[in-house]
Amino acid sequence: MGSAAPTHAAAMPVVAALTGFTLTLAACTPGTTSGAPGPLAGQTVEVAAIWTGAEQASFRTVLDTFERRTGATVRYTSGGDDLPALLNSRLAGGSPPDVALLGQPGVVAELARRGALVPLTGPAAEAVADNYDPDWRELGTVDGTLYGAYYKVSHKSVIWYRVDAFDQAGLAPPRTWAEHLAVTRTLTEAGVGTMAVPGADGWVLTDWFENVYLRLAGPQRYDQLAEHAIPWTHPTVVAALRLLRDYWAGERTIQEGAYQLKFVQAVADVFGARPKSAMLYEGDFVTVEIGRLGTVALGDGARFFAWPAIDGSPPMVITAGDQAVAMTDRPAAMALIAFLASTEAAEIAAAQGGFLSANRHLDPAAYPDPTTRDLAESLTTAEILRYDLSDLAPPAFGAGTDASMWRLLQAFLVEPESPEEVAGKLEQAARAAWEGS
Amino acid sequence: MTFVSTAVPKLRPAGTVAPGPPPPSLASRLARRLGGFTARLVVLAATLVWLSPTLGLAVASLRSSADNSATGWWTALARPRQLTVENYVALLGNETILRALWNTVLITAPSTLLVVAIGTFGAYALTWLDFPGRDWLFIGLVGLIVVPVQVAIIPNARLFGMLGIYGHVAGVVAVHVAFGLPLAVFLLRNFFRTIPPDLVEAARLDGGSELAVLRRVVLPLSGPALASLAVFQFLWVWNDLLVALVFATSENAPLTYALREQMRAFSSNLDVIGPGAFLSMTVPLVVFFALQRYFVHGVLAGSTK
Amino acid sequence: MRRRPGPWTRRNRRAALVFLAPLLLVVGTLVLIPIVQTTWTSLYSEDGSRFVGLANYVDLLTSAQTRKAISNNLVWVVVAPTVVTVLGLLFAVLTDRIRQATAFRLVLFMPMAISFLAAGVTFRLVYDEDPSRGMLNAAIVAVHDSFARPSPYPGATVRDGSGLRVSDGAILTGEVAAGDVVLLPLVAVAPDAVPDHATEAVAPPPGPGVRGMVWRDFAPEGTGRAGQADPGERGLPGVAVEVLRDGEVVARTLTDARGWFSVPDLVGGGYAVRLAAANFTPPYQGLTWLGPGLVTPAIMGSYVWVWAGFAMVVISAGLGAIPRGTLENARVDGASEWQVLRRVTVPLMRPVLLVVAVTLAVNVLKIFDLVLVLAPESAQADATVLGLEMYHTTFTKLNAGLGSAIAVLLFTLVLPGMAWRARVLRRQGVARP
Repeated sequence: MGSAAPTHAAAMPVVAALTGFTLTLAACTPGTTSGAPGPLAGQTVEVAAIWTGAEQASFRTVLDTFERRTGATVRYTSGGDDLPALLNSRLAGGSPPDVALLGQPGVVAELARRGALVPLTGPAAEAVADNYDPDWRELGTVDGTLYGAYYKVSHKSVIWYRVDAFDQAGLAPPRTWAEHLAVTRTLTEAGVGTMAVPGADGWVLTDWFENVYLRLAGPQRYDQLAEHAIPWTHPTVVAALRLLRDYWAGERTIQEGAYQLKFVQAVADVFGARPKSAMLYEGDFVTVEIGRLGTVALGDGARFFAWPAIDGSPPMVITAGDQAVAMTDRPAAMALIAFLASTEAAEIAAAQGGFLSANRHLDPAAYPDPTTRDLAESLTTAEILRYDLSDLAPPAFGAGTDASMWRLLQAFLVEPESPEEVAGKLEQAARAAWEGS
Repeated sequence: MTFVSTAVPKLRPAGTVAPGPPPPSLASRLARRLGGFTARLVVLAATLVWLSPTLGLAVASLRSSADNSATGWWTALARPRQLTVENYVALLGNETILRALWNTVLITAPSTLLVVAIGTFGAYALTWLDFPGRDWLFIGLVGLIVVPVQVAIIPNARLFGMLGIYGHVAGVVAVHVAFGLPLAVFLLRNFFRTIPPDLVEAARLDGGSELAVLRRVVLPLSGPALASLAVFQFLWVWNDLLVALVFATSENAPLTYALREQMRAFSSNLDVIGPGAFLSMTVPLVVFFALQRYFVHGVLAGSTK
Repeated sequence: MRRRPGPWTRRNRRAALVFLAPLLLVVGTLVLIPIVQTTWTSLYSEDGSRFVGLANYVDLLTSAQTRKAISNNLVWVVVAPTVVTVLGLLFAVLTDRIRQATAFRLVLFMPMAISFLAAGVTFRLVYDEDPSRGMLNAAIVAVHDSFARPSPYPGATVRDGSGLRVSDGAILTGEVAAGDVVLLPLVAVAPDAVPDHATEAVAPPPGPGVRGMVWRDFAPEGTGRAGQADPGERGLPGVAVEVLRDGEVVARTLTDARGWFSVPDLVGGGYAVRLAAANFTPPYQGLTWLGPGLVTPAIMGSYVWVWAGFAMVVISAGLGAIPRGTLENARVDGASEWQVLRRVTVPLMRPVLLVVAVTLAVNVLKIFDLVLVLAPESAQADATVLGLEMYHTTFTKLNAGLGSAIAVLLFTLVLPGMAWRARVLRRQGVARP
C-alpha cells in the first residue's frame, strides 16, 4: 500500500501472521465435518441445551458417538439459563434448532400447543416406550401426545456433607428435621461451619421450598399447588415459608453472605481447600463439581443424606430432568432423539459422572462410583416422586433469572419478612403468570 | 509522520515571553530532581496498578478452577507449580468458542473493509468534489458520530426481518458499517485536506477521471490514515457486544456474545471465561502493539465514539 | 481549494453522486431513517398495535426502574469524565517530566484495545468480595490487618443457659467474688483456631483473687458435658480478660496456654469478668464492591481503568503544543510545580480538557456492555443505566414502545454533544471551502 512510513511495511507481516493464526485456530473447530459414512451422512443436526462446561463435554461425548454411528454432524448450541428465550427468538427468525433439551415441562407444553414441536414418532417413540416407566412417559406428554424423551434426570432431595466436619463434631446424618436442627446447632458449636445456601442462584432456593413443602403438606397438596389449584396464600404454603425463614434467618444456621453466594462457589466453600461450611443442599449434580475440585473424594470425604423427614413424612424425592424434543420434522432430528433415549446413550453419559438416567434398562454398574449408584437407586426406587414445581409452572414464574419465584425467594432470604407477606406476593405473581399463559 | 489533528485546537500564546530561560538556581534544580523522583514513583505505582487487573486475569486463566475457588491469583506467583494450561487446552476443544472466534473474524473483516472502502469514496467526494450543500452534509455526517446504536436497533431489526437477514452475519456487518461510516468520513476527510490540492489538480489535468485521481494520487499517500481507520474500526467491531446481542444469534455469535452466554450459565465457569476473555484480548492486543501508532493517531485525530 | 468553473462542475456532481451513493444509502437507511422510526415507534404500545401518544414517556419518568437508570446515568456523566480527565491530566503532566514514558503510556493505553466484556471479566476478579480471592479486598484487608490485630477466636460465643451472656459482642459473667473459680466455656470456635501450644483444659484450683479458665467447650456429640472441662477439650490462650467492678475495669490480663487467668490481688465481691469483644470480632472482609451500594462506583472504577489512557494521550498531545518557554518561565519565577499546574498549564489546556471531557461524557451516556457484564445479577437493578434498560425493555420484556422511548431519551441526551461538535467544526473553519 504505498511508500511512506517504514513501520507500515513492518506492520503488514504482523497482520498477515495474525490473520493466519486466527484462521488456523478457528479452523480447528471440532465436529465441523465428521466425514464418516452412515445413514445420515452429510446431514447436520443442531441440538440446543442449557449445558456448558463439564456437562457440555459429557453431552458432547454422547453426540460424538451418534456422529460416528450415523455419519451426521451434530452441532451443539448452549442457551445458558435462558434457553427458552433463545428458542423463542430462533423460532421468530424461522430457524429453530432441530432438537432441544428442555427442563421445564411448562415450556414444552407451551411450545407444543403453539405447534412449534413435532410429536415423537418412529424409533424415538419406540425407544421411549421400551425404556421408560409410565411416569416419565407421562411427563413428556402434552395433551395426550408424546413430545419428549427424558435424557437426563436429577435427584434433588439430598443434602451433601463433609465427613470430617461431621466426625469432628461426633455427628451422624440426621433423619428428621428436628435432628437436622440439632445437627446444625452442634455444628455451630463445634465451629466447623454449618449449611451453605447459594442464594445468588434463585433456583436453589426454589428447590429448598419444594422439598419442605412436599414433606410438610403432602403430595396431593403439592400437585394442587403445581397447577395453581390452591393459592400461594394457602396455610400450608405459609407454614413452609415459616419453616424456611426460621432456618435461613436463624442464628448462625447458614453461611454468611448467602445472597451473593453462587452455586459453584458454595460447593467449593464446603468441599474445597478452605472449607467454610459443612453441608450443602442441592441435587446429584453436585458430584461433578466435587470431582472437579478434587479436594475430597466422593463417598469418602463427601457423602449425602436424604432430605430429612418433616413431621413424620415418608421418603419422598423431588426430581427434575431434561427432555429431548424435536423442533423440526427432519428424520435426523428424530434419529438423534431415539439415540438419546436409548440405553447406550445413557451408559456413555453415566460413565462420565454427574448424570442420572431414568432409563429402566440401564445397568447400575454403568455409574462410575458407589455414591452415584446409591443416588440412582434412591431415585428409581422412590415411592413418592414429584417433579420440580418451579419447572412445572409457567416460565415467567418459575424459570429463568427473572422468574418471580426465584426473585421473591431471594428477597426472602436477604430480608426475612413475615411468611404471610411473601406468600401474598408469590400469589400475586403466580396469578399474573398463570393468567398470562 | 504527523497529520493535523483538528480535534486539538490551537492554543493561545501565553502572556509573557522571555528571551530565554536564565540558568536555574541550585534550589530549583534540586526541587526539579525531587519532583522528578516523586513523579517516577507515582508513575511506577500507576503502572503496577494498571497492569494488575490484566495480569490477574492472565494468571487466573492458568490455574485450575479448584485453585481459583480457594485462593487468589497472586498466590500462584509464589507457587508456580500451580500453573497449568488445561483451561486453554479445553478451550481449543470447545466448539462453541471456536465457532465464535471464526464468527468474529467473519464479522470484523468485512465490516472493516467496507467502512474503509465506502468511507474513502465518501471522504474523497467531500474533500475535492464540489457540489451544493457539501459542507452541511459533512457536518451532518460528523454529528452522527455520537448517535447511540440503541436508537436504530428496533427499526433495523424489523428491516432485517423483512429482508430475511435478521440474525445473519450480513445484518451485523451492515449495522457496524453504518455506524462506523461517520467517523470514517471525519478521519479521512481531515487527512485528505492535508494533501496538496495541486497534486489533485495535476492529476485531473492529466486527463484522469476522479476514480483515476483517487487511485493514482490519493490512495498511495493515504496509507497511514487508512491504516488508522482500519485499526480503529477493527478494534471497535471485534470488541462489540451490543450489536452482536441484538443482531446475531448464538450460531453466528462472535466471541463477546459467546463469552457472555457462558457467564450467565449454570456454573461460574471461570475456567472457560478466563481463557476465553484472554483469547478475545490477544488479537486486539497484538494489533494494538503492532500498530499502536495508527491507533493513537486515529484516536487523536477524531475523538472517539 | 479553488473552484473551477465550467465543465468540471457537472462532472464534479456526477462523480460526487457516485462516490457518495453507498455512503448515503447505508447511513441513511440504517442510521437516519431509524431515528425517525424509533421516535414514531415510541408513540405506540408495546406490540405496536395502538397509538398511545406520550404514554410511554410518562411510564419512563414514573417507573422506578428507569428513574434509577436516569439517576445512575447522571452520576456517571458527572463523575466519570471528571475523574478520567483529571487522571489523564495528572498522568500527562507526570510523564512529561520523565524520560522513559513510553512504556507507561503503553500500559495505560492498552485497556482501550480490549472489549468491555473482557474488562468486565477482569474486574470481576478484582472486585470479588472474598479477600482470599479478590485482589482489591485482599489489599484492603492486608492494610487493615496491619493496623488492627485480627481477633484470635472470631465468631466464638456461648451456649444458652450457660450463665454467661453476650453484650455488644463481649462475653460477660454474672457476679463473682474473690476466691471463685470462673468457668468460661466457649463454643463456635473452629478447631484450627486453637493454637498448637494450647493444652488440655483442666479447671484451675481455687486460690486468692479472681481466677478462672477460658476453654473450647466442645466434645463430639454425646461424649461431653456442656459447661464442664471434658477430656479432649482445650484451653484458649491469648484471650483478653477484664475484671469489672461497678462497671469499671479494675484489672486486665491474658489467658495462658492452659486458658487460665488469675488476678490474685483482688479481694471482696461484686466483680464481673468480661471477655472483650475484640477477641471475637469476625475477621475484616473488606467491602462488597459489587453489592447494591457500591456497584456503580465499582463499575466506574473499571471504566476509568479503560479510558484514563485515552485522556492521557490526548492531553499529552495538547501539552506538547505548549511552548516550552512558558512553563520554564513560570518555574523560574519561583512557582511550585503545583502552582505551575494550576495557574499556567490548566488554563492553557482548557480547550483540550474540554474536548476530552465532552467526548467522555457522550461516550458514558451510551454505556451498556460494561454494566451488563460486570454487575452481578443481584445488582443489575441497582447498576442499571439507560443503554441497558433499553435493551432489557425491548428484548426481555418485549416492549418495543417503551424501549423506543428510552432510546429516544438517550438520543436527546447526546444531542448537545452533537451540537457542540458541529459548532467546534464550524469554528475551526472546517466548513470553509
